[in-house]
Amino acid sequence: MGLMNGIDEKFLKKIPGAPVIMTSIEWIINASRANSLWTVTFGLRCCAIEMMHTGATKTDWARFGFEVPAASPRRADVMVVAGTVSKKMVPIVKRLYEQMPDPKYVIAMGACAISGGPFVYDSYSVVYGVDKIIPVDVYIPGCPPRPEALIDGFIKLQKKIMTQKFRK
Amino acid sequence: MNYQEILEKIKTKVEPIYYKEDLGVLNAEVKPSDIKKVISFLKDELKFDWLNFITAIDWPENQNIEIIYYLYSNITKDKVVIRVKLDRNNPTIDTITDIFKTAEWHERETAEMFGVKFLNHPYPKRLLTIDGMDAPLRKDFKCDDLKPLPKD
Repeated sequence: MGLMNGIDEKFLKKIPGAPVIMTSIEWIINASRANSLWTVTFGLRCCAIEMMHTGATKTDWARFGFEVPAASPRRADVMVVAGTVSKKMVPIVKRLYEQMPDPKYVIAMGACAISGGPFVYDSYSVVYGVDKIIPVDVYIPGCPPRPEALIDGFIKLQKKIMTQKFRK
Repeated sequence: MNYQEILEKIKTKVEPIYYKEDLGVLNAEVKPSDIKKVISFLKDELKFDWLNFITAIDWPENQNIEIIYYLYSNITKDKVVIRVKLDRNNPTIDTITDIFKTAEWHERETAEMFGVKFLNHPYPKRLLTIDGMDAPLRKDFKCDDLKPLPKD
């Protein structure tokens, strides 16, 4: 059962003699969200090349449930900020983030998106980290991170989604 | 053409304030009011049909902003550099967009990076920087969140 990959036995219970699986609504919703993450199709700088490579055949990220890059931010669940955010780009990144439907997640990929990276000093045009403008869930260090690191970040995001609680 | 021939031909039209030869390329400084005349002369009569770039240099000690026009000819394979010195406190010069269309973006970039005002520019909006920013390539540029590089 593909659905049960990596899921603890205590969450799923098969009733003997009947084709019924008992689990919580919370787990079902979280698993549906975590295993069908669509990314916004956009890249800012050189990390985007590595992100494209991650989605291509050699390290195909659809194996882990990240599926396709969405053609519009209105269909996307996760935004990979792959590259330097310049001050001129801030309104556009914000608008993309605001167009995404809830629940939405952000991954800051690479040193530039985390803190400004090599452009920290003597720079008049770079935002020092994308978390200054939008909330970030997972940070992936590297310049640029390897595809394995990006997939690792995605899996960490999936684990984070699986821990979401709906009860107050 | 070597640089002396180009210089002689330019001298028939406008008188350069100062000129020098640098790596075989003529650098001629002209008056700001002559810039359209000399650029259109170079384009129409000396066949300099390619504007490589426009940029500027900030000289705070002389209170000057120097605009640089680098022209190339695809026909005679010659190069020429035209320089114009402007007042640093109020740098204003005519646009050459009506002669070279490609000058539009070069002038927009020079305008925002050095605070130069190009008169009669067709679309004088900012190209790369955000609104309200000072000219960042001037030597005395200050910015609120600029972190200077620590000296060892």
